Amino acid sequence: MKKLLFIVLALVLAGCASVKKVESGNHVVGERLSLNIQGMWNHLDFPGIKPAEVWTMEGVTVDEFLIYSGIRDGQAMHPETAASGQAKSFVFRSAMQSEEIVSMFEGVLTRDGSSFKLLKLEPYAFGGKKGYRFEYERNRKVDNVQLRGVGFGAVDRGELFAMLYHAPRLTFFPRHKDRVEAIAKSVVIQ
Amino acid sequence: MNRRRLLFAGAAGCLGAFACRGWGQESLNYAAPQRFAKPDIASDEGGLWAMMDREEKNLRRSPLVLRDAKLKAYVQDVACRLGGAHCPDIRVHLVRTPLFNASMAPNGMMQVWTGLLLRMENEAQLAAVLGHEIGHYLQRHSVDRLRDMKAKSAFGQFLGLFGVVGAVGQLAVLASAFAYGRDHEREADRIGAVLMHQAGYDIAESARVWSNLLDETKARDGKGPELFNPLFATHPAPPERRETLSQYAEAMPGGDPGRETYAENTERFLDDWLQDEVKRGQYAESLVLLSRLIAAGKAPALVQFHRGEVYRLRGEGGDLDLALTDYRSAASAANPPAPAFRGIGLIARQRGQKAEALESFSRYLELAPEAPDSAFIKTYMSELNS
Amino acid sequence: MFARFRRLACAALVLSIGVVGPLWADSKNLAPGFSGLKKGALVTVMQPDVELFSISAGGVPEPKADWTDSAIKHVQEALNQKSAELGLKTRELSEDEADELAEINTLHAAVARSIALHHLTAGNLSLPTKDGKLDWSLGDAVQPLRQKSGADYALFIWMRDSYASAERKVAMVAFALLGVGIAGGVQTGYASLVDLRTGQVLWFNKLLRGTGDLREAEPARETVMALLKDFPEAE
Repeated sequence: MKKLLFIVLALVLAGCASVKKVESGNHVVGERLSLNIQGMWNHLDFPGIKPAEVWTMEGVTVDEFLIYSGIRDGQAMHPETAASGQAKSFVFRSAMQSEEIVSMFEGVLTRDGSSFKLLKLEPYAFGGKKGYRFEYERNRKVDNVQLRGVGFGAVDRGELFAMLYHAPRLTFFPRHKDRVEAIAKSVVIQ
Repeated sequence: MNRRRLLFAGAAGCLGAFACRGWGQESLNYAAPQRFAKPDIASDEGGLWAMMDREEKNLRRSPLVLRDAKLKAYVQDVACRLGGAHCPDIRVHLVRTPLFNASMAPNGMMQVWTGLLLRMENEAQLAAVLGHEIGHYLQRHSVDRLRDMKAKSAFGQFLGLFGVVGAVGQLAVLASAFAYGRDHEREADRIGAVLMHQAGYDIAESARVWSNLLDETKARDGKGPELFNPLFATHPAPPERRETLSQYAEAMPGGDPGRETYAENTERFLDDWLQDEVKRGQYAESLVLLSRLIAAGKAPALVQFHRGEVYRLRGEGGDLDLALTDYRSAASAANPPAPAFRGIGLIARQRGQKAEALESFSRYLELAPEAPDSAFIKTYMSELNS
Repeated sequence: MFARFRRLACAALVLSIGVVGPLWADSKNLAPGFSGLKKGALVTVMQPDVELFSISAGGVPEPKADWTDSAIKHVQEALNQKSAELGLKTRELSEDEADELAEINTLHAAVARSIALHHLTAGNLSLPTKDGKLDWSLGDAVQPLRQKSGADYALFIWMRDSYASAERKVAMVAFALLGVGIAGGVQTGYASLVDLRTGQVLWFNKLLRGTGDLREAEPARETVMALLKDFPEAE
């Protein structure tokens, strides 16, 4: 992480990364997902972090809010980097059942050697579509931070829409969880 | 004690066969060096040692360490039997990571990853890997390697030898392959075999470790196994390595595979480790591994359920049928894993077989009322009912 | 590939230092509304995390245990001197206490990296929600640390320092003649003061420069003083 920071720093100095303000109000992410937020968020715009849009409240090394909008059949769920070239790719398929999509997220979040434990999986109307909500624990391998997370998702017209938020289980997850839940409730998939 | 007797019997057999083989006397008369003193801190070895001490402190505090005193004591005991006089310097740490890896740093920090423990069929196989790593330690190969890697500007890769992830390039280190040189591997194999034999283990199991791993990594398309596993260096080439180890086994026959003790000590964790393995998403490799464990008779119902999970998640061609077969045989076992019924239910639901789906789901919730996905499964049930 | 990129990245950093300036010394270092410590307050000093490397001709960092050992000693001495100057009482954590408090330490490190990146780095990485303020709090997470130490504040120190070997210096000069800058030694680190009642990060400073030396007592003292420059006074 320390070295990663160096790289990120270098990217900043090279002017290729930035953080944008996300104002309170309505926003459209991707083509079909719109949401409403109360209070600001920070949108991290680093090269090569697609397909998710990454937001944060406390900084990239603390909390991550991942928004996936309109992931198509056959699309990889994480950026392809040189460093992770030997790890398995997790690809979304339109025909996946809800529980398979949650398993796919487990794979995505353990790709870096972190551990993952599913705490809860329940039905949830996400963006007005039939979807699910799940909660998890994750121990981040790179810096040993113990995270808690919550995820939401649904598939509509063959495309995946999902949100994941994780933050340290001490202080930070409890601090921002309610806002994340409120954002998830506000989601509309057009 | 039984083990002692085996040891002596083995030693006698070894000498006889060994003479016939005509190897140099030195090759099987390995005498371990004295215990190592802490190196001068101004030396390169001292620097390495101190860095590893700090890494060990981090590891000790990591949430990824498996903190089970009993299992740790068991693995420590195996390492101690192999390490003999060096036992007090070897400190075992179990790390919950689903990859085949073990390493030993020059300061005595030994990391054993749970992916390795899952793959071992008996105590002798575990001893084969630990003995090999102790062989590197006793011959201080890492110090040679440090000097070599320094010359090649590959210090980050060097640290990968010890599974040190946080210290340097993190993911790059986790994903890449690291190896000692060919001669070091040969020497560690030989020393490992002698240590195994001295401790009363059957050396034939060490050849099996490498051929099992070879089968698994071959299942991955396109690339050779050496790219994927730190312990699986191409030097010496796997067939050569297997061959040599088999020859050692012939020269030093006898010994105990230690199958029951191994099962007794590890079975409590199998379910967790299998779940971690399935999450890797390396379905082809997992299938080879799980099929092998089933054939070896290792907790068949549980492993069969997890193989069913792999088939279901891969979901290609006839995978759902194969998954169903596995789920069904797991479910018919004396003490069936509850999620096997969930698996049957999920597939039946997908296929529109209402009655079977409902029956399997309710059996699942009966056996595991507190399951994390119980609310979700209940919704599936009410949809099926309407 | 990755390693080469990292080296380039570090080179870029070193080159940029002259522009960015070695130290941040303005109100950016203080939490809003915070001006000073209570006189006679007890500060628990978390075990300083310090490691020194030498950089070989090929650019490879190699840990140097003897340098690290003396650096830790020098840093501690300098810290004692600084606390005496400030009229603060300090208490160090034992190894066992540190083991028990590992999760707080890990959490603080993650927060510190975000502060260093998003708050004290030039460029457009600052977080709009923080509005340019040092506004990070660990909240209740620090309570066990407060209970264990009985302290009012905790001070965290992290430092990495590297020095070019003689051959490396030759290579640097050779490349410089060709107009190419390559990394020599970089001193990087941070210090962070946390209020154990609220979890608020009260003061934070980052060090990133191409000069300084932790191996010898006097330059090490200078480094610690540079890192703790503008450390809030007790009032």
